[in-house]
Amino acid sequence: MSPLSERFLADLAAAAVAEGLADAVFCRLSTPIGKLLVVQGPLGVCRVGFAEDPEDALLADVASLLGPRILAADRELATTRDALQAYFEAGEDPGVPVDLRLVRSPFRRQVLETLHAEVHAGQVVTYAGLAARAGYPRAARATGTACATNPVPVIVPCHRVLPGGGGVGSYGGGPARKRALLELEGALPRPLGV
Amino acid sequence: MDVTTSGRLPAFWTLVEAHGDELLHHARRLAGEAEAEDVLQTALLRALRAYPGLRHAEHLRAWLYRITTTTAMDVHRARRREVLTAAPPEPAAHDPALDLALGEFERLIASLPSASRTVLRLRFVDDLDYDDLAAALGCSPVAARQRVSTAVRALRKELAPA
Repeated sequence: MSPLSERFLADLAAAAVAEGLADAVFCRLSTPIGKLLVVQGPLGVCRVGFAEDPEDALLADVASLLGPRILAADRELATTRDALQAYFEAGEDPGVPVDLRLVRSPFRRQVLETLHAEVHAGQVVTYAGLAARAGYPRAARATGTACATNPVPVIVPCHRVLPGGGGVGSYGGGPARKRALLELEGALPRPLGV
Repeated sequence: MDVTTSGRLPAFWTLVEAHGDELLHHARRLAGEAEAEDVLQTALLRALRAYPGLRHAEHLRAWLYRITTTTAMDVHRARRREVLTAAPPEPAAHDPALDLALGEFERLIASLPSASRTVLRLRFVDDLDYDDLAAALGCSPVAARQRVSTAVRALRKELAPA
């Protein structure tokens, strides 16, 4: 049984998008921190998954928010792909719109929106500092939970939020990825190669 | 294997990646190598249009088989209309012996109801086994077997000397 060709899949997705049949589109990107799954709806990127995140469940989450007509469509995501590619090459903010409606808690959404709008590449902030910026100065711990459940990692930069006591702290994608992103942005000194 | 275990609809692309290869295989058997990809693209776009209206996430694989089958038959009918209206007819690009056999088969089943003709074509021309036939017809394998035997009985009766 011969598999469907890439060309067939790309044509199918393009025909569906042209007819207005896509609730969301996604692509798979190879990056220095491994494969990323990037899902985008009409308002912006709503989900980014790391290589180890189960794809079907992740896409089903997006389907429950935006509708089930979700297609792989590299061409339709060209702008977002280019922006992320540039980010991984130069460490500059990708500057793509995000849709944080998968974050159901208003508090967590507020924290992540503040983080996305105010903490740029090359900068870092503590959990307490981000809590204060978001208008909840006593909620440092809950701010940590908001970052840990961020549905759009890398683009909404929860990797730039550090514990007050030093070190890089924890990260949804693992501390090694967090350190790699901070080094890429120049916020952490790169270790000397051996 | 169906990709759904819970009640909610999976992303459409999850279905395409899980079942696309076997659906292409199915489209090839129904419509031939040259038409298979067109049939499947049309079928998947039809499925995509209907997808948000589905009320449950069960039997999605069989649902896709059924849409592919219906689409292949629509394409087959449209082509036949083209052939009937176009003159002179295109020279046959395939095996003439097979055409003769298919022509003979169509002549034999011509007097049966259209549903019976469809079942007989899928079983004996496209050579679908009862599981595939069930998926294509949207019924159980047992019901598919019954439909074939009913159609064969009707054919026997038709061909029996008066």
